[in-house]
Amino acid sequence: MFDLSSRQAKTIFCVALAFIGFFLFFPIYWLVISSIKGNTELYRAVPTPVPLAPTLEHFVKALTAGKLPMYLGNSLIVSGASACLVTILALYAGYSFAKYRYAGRQPVMLFMLSAQMFPFGLLLISLYPMMSNLGLLDTRLGLILSYIVFAMPVSTYMLYSYFSQVPDELIDAARADGASDLRIFHTIVLPISVPPVVTVFLYSFMWSWNDLLYSMTLIVSDDKRTIGPGLLLTYLNEVNSDWGGAMAASLLASAPIVIAFMFLQRYFIQGVTAGAIK
Amino acid sequence: MAKLELSGVKKSYGSTDVLKGIDLTVEDGEFVAFVGPSGCGKSTLLRLICGLDEISEGTMAIDGHIVNDVPPSKRGIAMVFQSYALYPHMSVADNMGYALRLAGTPNGEIRQRVQAAARILRLDAYLDRKPRQLSGGQRQRVAIGRAIVREPKVFLFDEPLSNLDAALRVDMRIEIARMKERLGTTMVYVTHDQVEAMTLADKIVVLNAGKVEQIGSPLELYNKPGNRFVAGFIGSPKMNFLKLGKGCGNGSYAVAGGSVTLPVFAHAPVEIGIRPEHLTLAERGKNTLSGVVAMTEHLGSDTYAYVALNGAEETVVARIPGEKTFRPRQEVGVEVDASVIHAFAADGTAITSSGNARVAA
Ligand SMILES: Nc1ncnc2c1ncn2[C@@H]1O[C@H](COP(=O)(O)OP(=O)(O)OP(=O)(O)O)[C@@H](O)[C@H]1O
Ligand SMILES: [Mg+2]
Repeated sequence: MFDLSSRQAKTIFCVALAFIGFFLFFPIYWLVISSIKGNTELYRAVPTPVPLAPTLEHFVKALTAGKLPMYLGNSLIVSGASACLVTILALYAGYSFAKYRYAGRQPVMLFMLSAQMFPFGLLLISLYPMMSNLGLLDTRLGLILSYIVFAMPVSTYMLYSYFSQVPDELIDAARADGASDLRIFHTIVLPISVPPVVTVFLYSFMWSWNDLLYSMTLIVSDDKRTIGPGLLLTYLNEVNSDWGGAMAASLLASAPIVIAFMFLQRYFIQGVTAGAIK
Repeated sequence: MAKLELSGVKKSYGSTDVLKGIDLTVEDGEFVAFVGPSGCGKSTLLRLICGLDEISEGTMAIDGHIVNDVPPSKRGIAMVFQSYALYPHMSVADNMGYALRLAGTPNGEIRQRVQAAARILRLDAYLDRKPRQLSGGQRQRVAIGRAIVREPKVFLFDEPLSNLDAALRVDMRIEIARMKERLGTTMVYVTHDQVEAMTLADKIVVLNAGKVEQIGSPLELYNKPGNRFVAGFIGSPKMNFLKLGKGCGNGSYAVAGGSVTLPVFAHAPVEIGIRPEHLTLAERGKNTLSGVVAMTEHLGSDTYAYVALNGAEETVVARIPGEKTFRPRQEVGVEVDASVIHAFAADGTAITSSGNARVAA
């Protein structure tokens, strides 16, 4: 049939990879080079593939002149808080689904996961009046709470699958040693769950950080605005011509996520449970 | 020091009955082994004794106090799990001291007791290591150490040695035997391994499909199995079973490969069992069945000869001392020692002989 190690197969794979790689990375490459070109070079009719005279002027300007630092700060607060909230809620929910048997366990879990099937915009339609009634429109708290809908279902499910694999004997051993259920969770299960917890935290952080729609709708005051709408309103309008600034600001906006991934990626691969069993 | 009493203990998960009424007494200081085929409910019974699962019906008492509703940590029972179940993020010392810490024991005393247990198990040098930095045997010792430091009234072991290789298993078996001498605590031990059960236990409980088949000392079970199941389960290689054909009078019965003359029994047996060591390969003679050698296994000290009796599909195995070689499909006679056979009725219960061996016809 189809031999995966044949020359033909390898060629097909390489071409496919190059194709995918181009669409994934070319926009990022363009973003990077555009952000370090001076304005004269940036507006040439035929763009240069490699910057002739790299400069950091756009970055300096974005960080000092505009409101970018404020937007970044707002995003950090809102995304951080909502990621913490999602992680904590998903931890207990996932553990309960994985390790306890009670009536309605499966339906409740499916019901929660089904939230993921609706477009977020649709959920916003019902969230908006809710927030309005609670007086949480145009507040950070309102936004933090709304962000839970993005990542909560999948986070719960991810932790559920992880906890399902924590050996029951480990929990039984702790129980026989005299630990209460909460104690077992906090002193035995949580410490060996650092990788999935980090993953879930980053995952939910990323969702809120990348959000545009909710923040745009629920936040009106400029001083509470997050980075997504902030970038949009600053750079994407009829009068703006500061493309270099837009590129630099976009890079700065994606930096936290990229850096976080770089530092925390080892947790994704590390197996902390080694040595518990056998 | 504790005496365990289980009466009418049942356990069901939903509609499946896993344990169907267990009556059992474990005397103070006794070492009891549970054996039985996979899935017969050994682990389940152990978990009920430990208190990890609830008893569906019946009672369990420790020293006369019913403990059905007492949580595991309050029963004074410690369990060693098959998978060791060490806390992977804690050092060996913390693993062993976890229960004491939860019980609010002062730090100094925890350290003392952990060190004492570590000395017994020769783990002193590893107290600061994490479980993943230990070998299988060391992990097993930590698991046992975790039970020892609690100074429980009863130790429960669920196949503690099954994850170890053969040599280590022998070492650990001796270690457990020493621990039994030294601590004199009541111990309940689940195992698949005949040798472990026979050598360690004061009393063996044979379980099958959620019921107790027989309880007795290792030699009692070996020499006087109460039924066909126990007869076949205890002993390795397994007991040989021969279906009895028509009786020809005078206690003589047709069996595969010839006929045997049996002692007088209270009821007529339908089947007999003979241990491999009670079969000898011999020339034609009295009580000798004919067949061909199908296979031999040389163990050095003994030889197992598998003989296909004429007219039978299965083979019988004879255990003969020393090294002996046979030609493939060599014809041999198998002599049955009628004085040590086991006889079984149609329902599988053992029938005891009511008289001396009859003189052969
Ligand atoms: N939580 C459970 N729900 C339903 N059935 C169970 C549960 N736990 C055990 N069983 C059933 O109970 C029976 C006995 O299980 P148990 O683990 O006690 O067997 P075992 O004798 O220890 O076997 P092994 O020698 O393989 O360890 C099995 O048939 C098993 O399928
Ligand atoms: Mg078992």
